[in-house]
Amino acid sequence: MTEIAAFIAQTIRIAIPYLFAASGGVVAERAGVVSLTLEGFMLTGAFAATLGSFYSGSPWIGVLCGIGGGLLFGLIHAVASIRYRADQIVTGIAINLLAVGLTRFFLLMAFDSSSNSPRVPGFGITGDAASLTGALLRNPLVWLGLMAIPAVAWLVHYTPFGLRVRAVGEHPAAAETLGVPVKRVRYLAVALSGILAGLGGVYLALDQHQFTDSMTAGRGFIALAAIIFGRWEPVRAGLACLLFAAAETLQIQLQGMQGIPSQFVQMIPYVLTIVAVGGFVARSTPPAALGKTED
Amino acid sequence: MAAFLPRPRRFSTVVHAIPLLLTIACSEASRDSRPSDPASTFRVALLTPGPISDQAWNSGAYQGLMRIRDSLAAAVSHIQTRTPADFEENFRHYGSEGYQLVFGHGFEFQDAAERVAPDFPRTVFITTSGSRVAPNVSPMVFGFEDPSYVAGVLAGSLTRSNVIGAIGGTEIPPVRSSFAAFEAGARAVNARVRVLTSYVGNWEDASAGKEQAIAQIRRGTDFIFQNADAAGLGIFQAARESEGVAVFGANVDQNSVAPDVIIGSVVIDLPHAFLAVARDVKEGRFRPGVLRLGSVTGVTRFVLNPAWRDRVPAGVLARVDSTERRIISGALQPPRIEFVDSVGRLP
Repeated sequence: MTEIAAFIAQTIRIAIPYLFAASGGVVAERAGVVSLTLEGFMLTGAFAATLGSFYSGSPWIGVLCGIGGGLLFGLIHAVASIRYRADQIVTGIAINLLAVGLTRFFLLMAFDSSSNSPRVPGFGITGDAASLTGALLRNPLVWLGLMAIPAVAWLVHYTPFGLRVRAVGEHPAAAETLGVPVKRVRYLAVALSGILAGLGGVYLALDQHQFTDSMTAGRGFIALAAIIFGRWEPVRAGLACLLFAAAETLQIQLQGMQGIPSQFVQMIPYVLTIVAVGGFVARSTPPAALGKTED
Repeated sequence: MAAFLPRPRRFSTVVHAIPLLLTIACSEASRDSRPSDPASTFRVALLTPGPISDQAWNSGAYQGLMRIRDSLAAAVSHIQTRTPADFEENFRHYGSEGYQLVFGHGFEFQDAAERVAPDFPRTVFITTSGSRVAPNVSPMVFGFEDPSYVAGVLAGSLTRSNVIGAIGGTEIPPVRSSFAAFEAGARAVNARVRVLTSYVGNWEDASAGKEQAIAQIRRGTDFIFQNADAAGLGIFQAARESEGVAVFGANVDQNSVAPDVIIGSVVIDLPHAFLAVARDVKEGRFRPGVLRLGSVTGVTRFVLNPAWRDRVPAGVLARVDSTERRIISGALQPPRIEFVDSVGRLP
């Protein structure tokens, strides 16, 4: 029983950044804007949270700063891809590179290190990091992360704004003729994705009590894979996040066992991702206007 | 980004911005060549696999380079590399610039050094923790096993659960060998001890390191020997969040990085080793071969965190000290998993 509880706890801890990023990415993608940028949003959020927490001494100020960092990069992406209709793949790559470069630059400026920040106030230390209650109770961002997917599912499917998001993602010209402000809806959707993905980075930094260089380590791309695997449905994307996190947990748990080469065990999450995406996504259809710059 | 103009198809602006962004992203890769004396022709370069501010493996190498600059009046240059293609390109760059000595700081630089070396016969390539000798390529191999064994003796003596752990970045032979020595040291003093070994899969992801550590701690591990560079920061964090767990620092003296959880560090005196090799090369005494540098030569040692000295029983401290003395005198040779192809030359 404790084995199962520990497995669930670890899966949840690993899944939280994915859940934040995927819930944000789903909204932007459903509005027709490619979310290659989640990685950059997360990294910026993580760094801004570290700065905020360091200078204020309060992790909650850190959370607000992280939201601001994600929002800022979301708006940069929105301006480039919506206002100026730049190719979203290209701006996405540029945003990610910019995030790596800028966080490293300011890390050096603020903390005189190109590797990591000093320790900053973060969320809850208890003596029981490994337990299920430890994972769930010590960090309020865990709760927020678990609620992000249901909230976005409700937003996309049961609110007027969600209807507009789906409309501009499928057929922006038709939405336009019905009086939907296409660009404004897309701006809001991308800004929201910046905030949510930024929170994913905030979780990483405040859980670690520290920013380390490139600490998101590809988690934004895993979240994007979860969105595609989830066929752009928030709930399915959330389940995909949990599946990927469970695969990583399995990898970690199997490492303690003797006799299985570590390299083989470390393949498990990647193999699962390829099998999942390759095996199931062939039938899935992205939003019709995804990545289209002409409207 | 201010160059955006209010017209559609601003695509090209973004494309133009990319080289700039790449420059920012790779900003540490600047070659900070500083000839300390224009007449000095001795030039030394260092390639590291990670940032030199990591307070571990890479920062130690950079300190070595600085000591070479100061002690031998050498012109030095450093670059951080990421991929094998980077390794080779930068080896070539320094070879063609006429550097007499180039360090590739890690096991992973061996193949690139061997490919490049024949084209630059007047340059000596040193691969730290490398594995093979070529006419102008010599691996510098540290007796990291020596202090790892001492750490094992300490952990094996102090563990209450009889479960101790080892966590590496990736499973490379030097790390595996030092983990084997750690285990042997623990078993030498505690027959019932069990060692859990796992690998993060990279050297950067602190969150992944933390999860590996939590998984081991849940299995009862109370001492963790980590060798995972920046990912190790997550292992320290996991120990902070758990009761009664101590971690060993690795490569440089990390005792001050997390004094509350680091009981001691397994240290390679990289500056000492780098300077010794550079002096030989400069004075023309260098002969290709495997450079073995362990506790006997004073290059590796175990450093107990002074803040923990009171918490370790006197009997255990005495055992640790005597183990270290026997290793330094050569009476005790910790086991090693041999990964160097050629027979060693003692300096």
